[in-house]
Amino acid sequence: MHIYLLQAVTQNPDSSYWYLPVGLQLLFAIAFVGLMMGVTHLLGPSRKTADKLSNFESGIESVGNARQPMAVKYFLVAILFVLFDVEVIFFYPYAVNFKSLGWEGFLAVMMFVGFFLCGFIYIIKKGALKWED
Amino acid sequence: MSNEQLLALLPFMVLAGASIVVILMIAARLSHTAIQVAGFLMLCFTVLAMGYVRDILPQEILPLFIIDGFAALYTGVIIFSVGVVGLLSYIYFEEREENPKEYYILLFLATLGAAVLTISRHFVSLFLGLEILSVSLYALIAYLRNRNNAIESGLKYLILAALTSAFLLLGMALFYMETGSMEFNAIGQKLAGSDPGVLFKLGLALMVVAIGFKLALVPFHLWAADVYQGAPAPVTAFIATASKVGVFAVLMRFSLAVNLQQSEFLLNVFSGIAIASMILGNILALRQQNIKRLLAYSSIAHLGYLIVAFLPGTREGIEASVFYLFAYAITILSAFGIVTILSTRMKDAEDLSVYRGLFWRKPLLAAVLAVSLFSLAGIPLTAGFFAKFIVLLTGANYNLWLPVIVLVLTSVIGLYYYLRIISTLFASAPAAEPRHKPLHPFFHFVTYATLFVLMVMICVLGVFPGPAIEGIRQFLMIR
Amino acid sequence: MTLIWIIAIFFAGGLLCWAAQFVNRVLIKWIALIAAVANLALVGAAYAEYRNGSAPGDWLIDYTVNWIPSFAIKFHIALDGLSLVLLLLTAFLGVLAVLCSWKEIKERVGFYYFNLLWTLAGITGVFVAMDLFLFYFFWEVMIVPMYFLIAIWGDSNRRYASYKFFIFTQAGGLLMLVSILALFFINHANTGNYTFDFFELQNITLSVAEGRWIMLGFLVAFVIKLPAVPFHSWLPDAHSEAPTAGSLILAGLLLKTGAYGIMRFVITLFPQNSAEIAQWAMLVGVIGIIYGAMLAFAQNDLKRFIAYTSVSHMGFILLGVYSFREMAFDGVVMQMLTHGISTGALFAMAGMIKERLHTREMGNMGGLWTGMPLMGGLALLFAMASLGLPMMGNFIAEFLILVGAYEVNPTLTIIASIGLVFAALYSLRMMQRVFFGPRTTPDRHPEPFLRQGELREGSAHSASAVYDLSAREFTILISLSVAIVILGLFPQPVLDSVNTVVQSLIQKNTP
Repeated sequence: MHIYLLQAVTQNPDSSYWYLPVGLQLLFAIAFVGLMMGVTHLLGPSRKTADKLSNFESGIESVGNARQPMAVKYFLVAILFVLFDVEVIFFYPYAVNFKSLGWEGFLAVMMFVGFFLCGFIYIIKKGALKWED
Repeated sequence: MSNEQLLALLPFMVLAGASIVVILMIAARLSHTAIQVAGFLMLCFTVLAMGYVRDILPQEILPLFIIDGFAALYTGVIIFSVGVVGLLSYIYFEEREENPKEYYILLFLATLGAAVLTISRHFVSLFLGLEILSVSLYALIAYLRNRNNAIESGLKYLILAALTSAFLLLGMALFYMETGSMEFNAIGQKLAGSDPGVLFKLGLALMVVAIGFKLALVPFHLWAADVYQGAPAPVTAFIATASKVGVFAVLMRFSLAVNLQQSEFLLNVFSGIAIASMILGNILALRQQNIKRLLAYSSIAHLGYLIVAFLPGTREGIEASVFYLFAYAITILSAFGIVTILSTRMKDAEDLSVYRGLFWRKPLLAAVLAVSLFSLAGIPLTAGFFAKFIVLLTGANYNLWLPVIVLVLTSVIGLYYYLRIISTLFASAPAAEPRHKPLHPFFHFVTYATLFVLMVMICVLGVFPGPAIEGIRQFLMIR
Repeated sequence: MTLIWIIAIFFAGGLLCWAAQFVNRVLIKWIALIAAVANLALVGAAYAEYRNGSAPGDWLIDYTVNWIPSFAIKFHIALDGLSLVLLLLTAFLGVLAVLCSWKEIKERVGFYYFNLLWTLAGITGVFVAMDLFLFYFFWEVMIVPMYFLIAIWGDSNRRYASYKFFIFTQAGGLLMLVSILALFFINHANTGNYTFDFFELQNITLSVAEGRWIMLGFLVAFVIKLPAVPFHSWLPDAHSEAPTAGSLILAGLLLKTGAYGIMRFVITLFPQNSAEIAQWAMLVGVIGIIYGAMLAFAQNDLKRFIAYTSVSHMGFILLGVYSFREMAFDGVVMQMLTHGISTGALFAMAGMIKERLHTREMGNMGGLWTGMPLMGGLALLFAMASLGLPMMGNFIAEFLILVGAYEVNPTLTIIASIGLVFAALYSLRMMQRVFFGPRTTPDRHPEPFLRQGELREGSAHSASAVYDLSAREFTILISLSVAIVILGLFPQPVLDSVNTVVQSLIQKNTP
């Protein structure tokens, strides 16, 4: 069966049967993970104690409730951080290929940075980064 | 990328630049008026740029874009709609929201997304365009966040649109798996002659879900009424026009590239969707008391009519669909324009009772609304009639008798609810409420003038559609 | 050119009326009247010129200009004898409709006359359009303003009536549009030529099955308008709720467009298929005659009564057309004219009575002759006309139809002539209840009969005064009665005018 299918593949190079190995590997991966987890769960000894459920704070006992209200501004800053952090992801490949991309690449990146700068000016002018009101 | 190719993208770059300009203007704390004027100017520049690059079309920017007459037409309709929406927005947001400026950034971004859809010839650009459009729309729909329904409808749209984006992505992935390409033409070539495999069909089904959602076709229409109702009136106008035009354009281009209409099965699927949309849209609209919901259902029906023009998949079909979309855009923009103008600070003018006897209080507004409703109903002397006529003509030409007959019968049903509004307009008026003076006389004048021009356009297109059709034909030659 | 002038004057007059609202309210009526009279003069002149009809196959006036070349749509209007006499009727009733509304309409006058004149323009267009697309266009143009006439100035139940009117006619119209498109493409398939032109489509050859469906599309539109019996239910509502001039135009002209359409398009384009259904169509006509008469007899509402008599009389048209006899065709044309005049007159009178008594209920009338002998006399004349008394045009019309139809189907014709007996019954009963008998109208206005619609009109008379005709009303009615008597005594000119048309119809439809 297996071999027969592979023959079909050789006859039709466009066929989606080319993906058969990928599918097999996926199946195998799922089966393997499932097997491992199931087996350890069954075989391993398990003891339930209160210590296990408490937070691990580098050996120091935790005090009070961690779920405390936080200034909503934090989320704004956090999101802005994510936005600008993504910028770095684009810089990295550029930095690697700096030489080969030449002036054209430099211009493109300058444009990119320029647009980001516009956004940055907007954010500052809007007062999004001002912590105190 | 050659200079000419870059030049061909100029209108889109101007459009993208518009949002940057608006951002900087907001940063510079310029007034709403200044932003409105600048935005309008940027749209004018876009139009100028389109005229400027007309001669170098068509340009193909491999692998993502193709800028041809087809794209120019659809983009033109989008830009036109956005221009009107922008004009309508000033008064609406000036009176309601202390922060009306960011609206314009989102509006331009959404426009850019819709416009990119019209020129995409690749799944990547399709997806990018669609996401730019959708993400801006999430925010636009919920823009008046203090209103009752705004957040609700925004979230509804967000969740459903995100879901359908996932469908779309999976569909694309399946296509890629089947054909090994994401370019429309390459996919078409791969499929030519051979019977499409099951993966392709599955992928297509997923894509139909996504596109059907964006176009609000039955059975993917469930969001339409709520979102239309909850969104601010100008945004609703935008959803009804620009976003649908863009999505329809890309659907058309894709189906032409892969010869979708050649397949008997798919033809049946699409005519089924069209028929269901026409019937259900019209029937659901019958009992609506809320004009925005009513227009939402009627837009479902109208997209159903439009799909009838899509079915043949020929040049006539494209012609008909462009004319239909243009006529529909003018019509629905003037209808929502009236809703916008009549809206009060607290609430959009969505109850039918607001319109009672409008003709005797504000004849111009009522006349505009009546003409646009007649146009939606497809009564002669209006653009809507001619649009419907061309669609019927196309359908009849390709022997699609079932959809054609359904179109005819459902438009009779549709007549009832349009007449209901019209007769409300002409009913005896209640005592006129005291009018407060408009805050911005100039912009009020501009808005009225815009609506008047729209009405005249509806009538002119209805009586002398010849030049418009010739123009469309000429543009479609550019390919 | 005359035709374009006529249509243009109606359109422009309508716009002027609307515009005049902002200047002077008295001016409006005069503009409307001048437009209507000018058109009557134009049509009269055209009639004087062309009254003898044309050589067979020739057209008196034939005017074409490109309209939407992309779809081969032309603005093609032409005139032959049939169109000519119907235009004459249109222009004549148009003047009377303006006069009828002189006092009745007190609100939104400008917009009212705008709609009135545009309806007339649409009707004129329907009678002369020879491009099928243009025909459909005018077909719709006459409906929309008529809808407004009913919906805005109608009686208490106007909203319902106007919806019903619009949706019925629009449904028929759209089916006709599909048929027109089918013709368009079949013609293209046959000849390679895209055209909506009636002259060219006349020569089309259709297979029997194709012809059957396409004809059905046309027929539905016309039969709804006519109306024949299963599709008549819009008519009583629309007629009774419309303002007087609206009823006048509806009964006098709009119904005729249905009859005209059948004669001009259905039996010309589809002779074979028409022959196929001829017996059934005649049957439907006869059912209409009898059923309409019976319903008319049962009505208490004066305007509904007149409306149902129209249903009955229009049955004769189906009977006549589908017998395909020369006499019957002549009779059909006469019936169109005389029914337009006599029913128009009855509606005008119903409107006048309503202005005085503020009611349409026949139960609240009675003994009116003593109060207004002049109107009583004229009403008697038109009741006689309606029941087909010799010397009136209606007699000629119905007689010709019955003679023509007898050759084809004696049984149905005999049943149809029973309709004439019924006509006598209901007409006389109407006269009896309205004008004779004890006078039941009290001097004071009876409060319980005050309806919503009348409240809105805010009439100056708080008491219902029964007074005789004013000079204006007398002019309206006397001109109508002169017309009906002339048609009754000298029908020959009309028959001469339409002779060639009838001949060519006969040629096409010789069994």
